[in-house]
Amino acid sequence: MRSFIILTLVAGLAAAGDAPPFQCDKNTLAWSLPWEDDWVTAVAFAGPRTLVAGNEQGAILVWKLPEKVGDPAPLPVRTLDGHTNGITRLVVSPDGRWLVSASKDRTIRIWDMKAQSTDKATVIVDAKKREKAAKKAGMKELPKAPGATVLVQKADRVFAQHKDWILGLALAKDGKTVVSGDDGGQVYVWSFDTAKVEREWKVKGWVFALALSPTTSQALISERIPLVFDSDRHAAVKIWDAAAIKVERDLSPAFKGEFFETAAFAPDGKLLAIGRAGETEKGKIVLLDPATGKKVRELAGHRGGCNDMTFSADGQRLISCGRDTLVRIWNPADGKQVAELGKSRGGQFKDVLHAVSLSPDQRWVAAADMAGMVQVWRCEAK
Amino acid sequence: MNPHVTRRAMLKRLVVGAGGAAVANFGGLFNSQTIADEVRRSGKRCILLWANGGASQIDTFDMKPGQPTAGPFRPINTNLAGLQICEYLPRMARHADKLAVIRSMHTSEPDHPGGIYLMHTGYRPAVAVSHPELGAMTAKYCGSLDSDLPDFIRMGSTGNGGAGYLGPLYQPFGLDRNGRLSQFASSGSTPEAVRRRADLLRFVEESSAREHRAEPFQAHRLAQERAWRLQRTRNVFNIDQEWARARERYGDTGFGRNCFMARKLIEAGVAFVEVGQENYDSHADNFVCHKANMNILDPAWSGLLDDLHERGLLRNTLMIWMGEVGRTPGINNRVGRDHFVRGWTVVLAGGGVRGGTVYGATNPNGNGVRDNPVTEGDLFATIYTALGINPRVRHFVGTRPIWATPEGARVVREVLA
Repeated sequence: MRSFIILTLVAGLAAAGDAPPFQCDKNTLAWSLPWEDDWVTAVAFAGPRTLVAGNEQGAILVWKLPEKVGDPAPLPVRTLDGHTNGITRLVVSPDGRWLVSASKDRTIRIWDMKAQSTDKATVIVDAKKREKAAKKAGMKELPKAPGATVLVQKADRVFAQHKDWILGLALAKDGKTVVSGDDGGQVYVWSFDTAKVEREWKVKGWVFALALSPTTSQALISERIPLVFDSDRHAAVKIWDAAAIKVERDLSPAFKGEFFETAAFAPDGKLLAIGRAGETEKGKIVLLDPATGKKVRELAGHRGGCNDMTFSADGQRLISCGRDTLVRIWNPADGKQVAELGKSRGGQFKDVLHAVSLSPDQRWVAAADMAGMVQVWRCEAK
Repeated sequence: MNPHVTRRAMLKRLVVGAGGAAVANFGGLFNSQTIADEVRRSGKRCILLWANGGASQIDTFDMKPGQPTAGPFRPINTNLAGLQICEYLPRMARHADKLAVIRSMHTSEPDHPGGIYLMHTGYRPAVAVSHPELGAMTAKYCGSLDSDLPDFIRMGSTGNGGAGYLGPLYQPFGLDRNGRLSQFASSGSTPEAVRRRADLLRFVEESSAREHRAEPFQAHRLAQERAWRLQRTRNVFNIDQEWARARERYGDTGFGRNCFMARKLIEAGVAFVEVGQENYDSHADNFVCHKANMNILDPAWSGLLDDLHERGLLRNTLMIWMGEVGRTPGINNRVGRDHFVRGWTVVLAGGGVRGGTVYGATNPNGNGVRDNPVTEGDLFATIYTALGINPRVRHFVGTRPIWATPEGARVVREVLA
């Protein structure tokens, strides 16, 4: 019996890329890391306890999370310097060494998370809190100290082919290929190592969601031209053959006029999730069979658009966040919600969650919060 | 059948009828006829590009780089030293020397219905008086009663105030949102059959007209006359073939096509054309809304400027770009900007305008006007002056005198040629 359990565990770990299963019976808000300069727009784990977030100004900060819940909230340790406009997506290479960031400044930057740096800077993450305190104390200037001393790091390489905001970004499972798409409808497939373009094509709308299948053979691209009443409004959802650059499945007729902001393939490539965007729409998530393009089931729950999502390493859970200020955890097998992180702030006029990430050890979930913070939850079994 | 009833004779008869009975209501029809004749000779025309919902000044022509209110768009240089505009208006940046940018609009109606009325008439909505829109006023003073084409044409999302006290002769004629004649404007009968029917109806209605001189009856008869006349001009509205060549210049969009139609209509002698562009009311997702709009606006507007210029029409055609409100400098948590009337932007170009002018200024974060505030009345006085219309021209509603612009309205001479 014991050897059976061990074998089962080993097999499970192998299937999930050596990651333990994601458990979310007990979820605790571990830290709310303040970063009040602007909206926090993107978040990613670059290691079990290395957390990276980007904001609307184009800044990127790195935190080292403590071992356990209850430890003091950490301050940032590093800033990744280079972007000049909002960070839209952050993805991490499978080995956790490299971070890829996309931005409204029309560049994609690749950062070596193990790079050494000697440059230092002081970062203030609680500007609003200080502002309030200063006002109360009748001070004219904001107190600059104490700030967090961080290392300043430059990008290892920059991909600068795009001519418009980049919202579509995906890194192949083998870490060798990047696919990116911009608001001009330009899609590039390019080498992660050399940043050289291998293939390119153009779609009619702006590239909104972009996901790459584990084998890199398929790319899901959702398009938008976000006009409300105009005949030039455009929405499309297509599965592309990324090698042949041709449309494999045009799903648009099934989702007429709907914009999808986020997409993710399950780790085994057998399921594709797309999340509907928008403020007044129901933020449904649709699970599709990528081989046929047929709808498998719909996950209804988010009130307002779904902004981001990710599968757990074993594909047994899907984690999403949205305009309803909640992180929701789903069982893709039956479409039921199994857990909810955070509290709804109520109504459409509240700060939303822009992005969500699951740590590679499957124990931490982080969300980029427009309110000026990064929320981190510890998720575990009972 | 009465073969003696000609179109011109019928119109004359209607006008006399109106003059006899309804000056009280349609005072504008005759009181300023001499002035109108004089203005008409100047050949002035006007195109209003209407940003329905209210465009964001900070994201277009009054950018605030470095301020917390700046948003994600970046400024670019224009062909006018010192003027920067949004990066998503690159073609318009090459026309900045033709523009007069008024950055200090301070208006009095912060919401849509009131704002739309205000920025089409120069007056706040009032129960007692229905003011004429800028288009109706331009039609009256710059249009031609002899033309078979309407003098005030609009398409897309536009104003809805109409001719007000100027009466039905100056009511706008609406094309559908794609710039095509509406279905009802097409007759299935032959032109000869239409003519005979019209003559018969006129004959039958002649006695009725003598007995029923109230406004609705007159409006109905005038509308009928105009509809018949319009049948003769239907070809003007068919731009399908020409559009195939023009779409590259204007951008292959509905708004681009409507701007091209505006050029055709101006060329054909229409005094006032309004082209509406939707989607500016961006309380949520302001930046993607504006980016999508500017991608459409930029080629359409610049294409229209180029086209008018090349055909020698720009010097007599005033172009106005505005909406009913501006948008807040502050960005709300729906990534939107709300309505704002304490410091926003209107852009003029073309006939009567001093190109390469930036007038007024907002304060550094855009939260209010710093220099030279311009009210709606000032703007309309300036527009009328550019069109050769006396901004203090007087009309009567009953016995009550009404002026084209509110008391105290000031012409902004600095933006006029």
